[in-house]
Amino acid sequence: MKILVCIKQVPDMESRFRPNGEKTWYDESDLAFRMNEYDEYAVEQAVQLKEQLGGEPEITVLSIGPERTVEAIKKALAMGGDRAVHIRDDRYYQKDPWQIASMIASYAKGEAFDLIFTGMQSQDRGSAQVGVIVAELLGLSCATTLVGFSYDGGTITVKRELEGGIKGVAKLKLPALVTCQLGLNTPRYPTLPNIMKAKKKEIASLTPAELSGEAELTATAAIYPPAKKGGGLVLEGDIGVQVDRLMGILKEKTAVLR
Amino acid sequence: MFLELTEEQKLIQETARNFARSELEPLAAKLDREGDRPAFLANLKKLAELGFMGLNVQGEYGGSEAGVVAFSVAMTEIARACASTAVTVSVNNMVCEVIQAVGSQEQKEKYIPRICSGAYAAGSFALTETGAGSDPAGMTTTAVLDGDSWVLNGSKIFITSAPYAGVFVVWAVTDREAPKGKGISCFLVEQGTPGLVIGKQEEKTGQHASATNELVFDNCRIPKDALMGKLNDGFRIAVAELGGGRIGIGSLALGVGLAAMDYATRYSTERVQFGQKISSFQAIQWKIADSYTELEAARLLLMNAAFRKESGRPFAKEASMAKLYATEAANRACYNAVQMLGGYGYTADFPVERYARDVRITSIYEGTSEIQRVIIAREILKNIS
Repeated sequence: MKILVCIKQVPDMESRFRPNGEKTWYDESDLAFRMNEYDEYAVEQAVQLKEQLGGEPEITVLSIGPERTVEAIKKALAMGGDRAVHIRDDRYYQKDPWQIASMIASYAKGEAFDLIFTGMQSQDRGSAQVGVIVAELLGLSCATTLVGFSYDGGTITVKRELEGGIKGVAKLKLPALVTCQLGLNTPRYPTLPNIMKAKKKEIASLTPAELSGEAELTATAAIYPPAKKGGGLVLEGDIGVQVDRLMGILKEKTAVLR
Repeated sequence: MFLELTEEQKLIQETARNFARSELEPLAAKLDREGDRPAFLANLKKLAELGFMGLNVQGEYGGSEAGVVAFSVAMTEIARACASTAVTVSVNNMVCEVIQAVGSQEQKEKYIPRICSGAYAAGSFALTETGAGSDPAGMTTTAVLDGDSWVLNGSKIFITSAPYAGVFVVWAVTDREAPKGKGISCFLVEQGTPGLVIGKQEEKTGQHASATNELVFDNCRIPKDALMGKLNDGFRIAVAELGGGRIGIGSLALGVGLAAMDYATRYSTERVQFGQKISSFQAIQWKIADSYTELEAARLLLMNAAFRKESGRPFAKEASMAKLYATEAANRACYNAVQMLGGYGYTADFPVERYARDVRITSIYEGTSEIQRVIIAREILKNIS
């Protein structure tokens, strides 16, 4: 079995974000980067499947991004990936999900992967588009927002998180692509010996030009911080009036009283 | 000049940080106040399984081969959450390294994998005695060869991890006639050896979860091949290995200092007095500025010492400088942190009083600040005269 896991390196979410000079992305110069949280679930699930099948499947890790992306790739290798493909692209942030997915699909087309894992979305852009577009381009069955996964004899059974807290169960025949959501599993810590051994695993390097020349379908016009909010809403007056107003707000603006 | 961690070092730092935040930090206050040895030991076992007990140890003995810089950054991250866990990890690494440096092949194969894997919760470093602290060569514990065994008599104090250590590296006098420091040898003594008595556990100011005990050797008989390294070469071994331990303790102190300052700084942006956040007062700002500057200087000294050791260069002076400066800077940072929280900083409702207690020992154990200055001056002067 051949497995592909697509990962992205994103800033630590505790960072302070500022728009960059072009005002189309955030300034990366003072940020610490990590593997996208949802992609950790993807890597973990792939490694668990490999373990279930006695180590037979080969796991390829793919990531698009600048030089620094190698750190996230090495983490995925330390968690149990076998080899990696790094699509070196310093201008990755100017590409829309269609272009990113086109590059991945172009690489994956010739590789005949049986199963592709991606995160449900990236923590920075958050489009949740790349996985499903890759599946469409490759003609694969696809299930998104997985919170449960099992494999048996060429078929996967997945539990999906739907809107409003509802779960759905689907069975897919391989080849397939799935996107992973919080709650699917608990990603392992990479052990120190495995971090050191990951150095010796193959990381093939490709350029975007070798893969896809697709033009963007959407362009980022501007990125800006949200306007500063005021100090919230202060309810005043008689206690009974305050309670009535609070109840009204909770009913209208939230789901807590439904 | 490239002042950046490698990708592997960053990943080790991230693993240490994530583990410390999710597994160690939630437990640290409870361990400090009530103690929970099973939980403490369970976390040590997890850290061993992740490879933190032999960071600078060869893979054939179960080590991680990650190097000294990785050891330093890992110690800092662990100490940010729990200093008691950090000191245990530091000593375990030091015990593995001393066995790797001078142990026989059999000793290396027997003991190092047990510490690295967590089969032993800990290893202990038994050098200090009641009359031999800063002056370890003044020790009086003896080892006498009797047929096929060494017989140990005497006592040690302040021995980290003694109740749950699987093996002790023990120093004892083997030649009473030799000049001072020239008649000491190093031995490996297993837990449970008849005549090895784990004595009273000290009631310390801080680092409560880490047990610190007296050891008594009462005609403790160990095999002849329990000698580690050359006969009468033990003092040199101790001096050499303490250098590496100092990098560990300096890195630990840095972690505690950062934890205290991070907490106090955040607090200062929330606490209001005189109608404004106290972070707007210059008195508070200067504490923040001074402490973070000193902690950053400490970090760079530690990185330098670690990098020198990792590169196989002399590092005794640099390790002492880093240990001296980092532990004192961390003590000042914790003092400032308590000051910034005011009365709340003196209560157990906030973690800074624990940091302040935990950090105090760092400028004492693994060589006091005063001894570090002796070493630093000696290293400088020996190149002049």
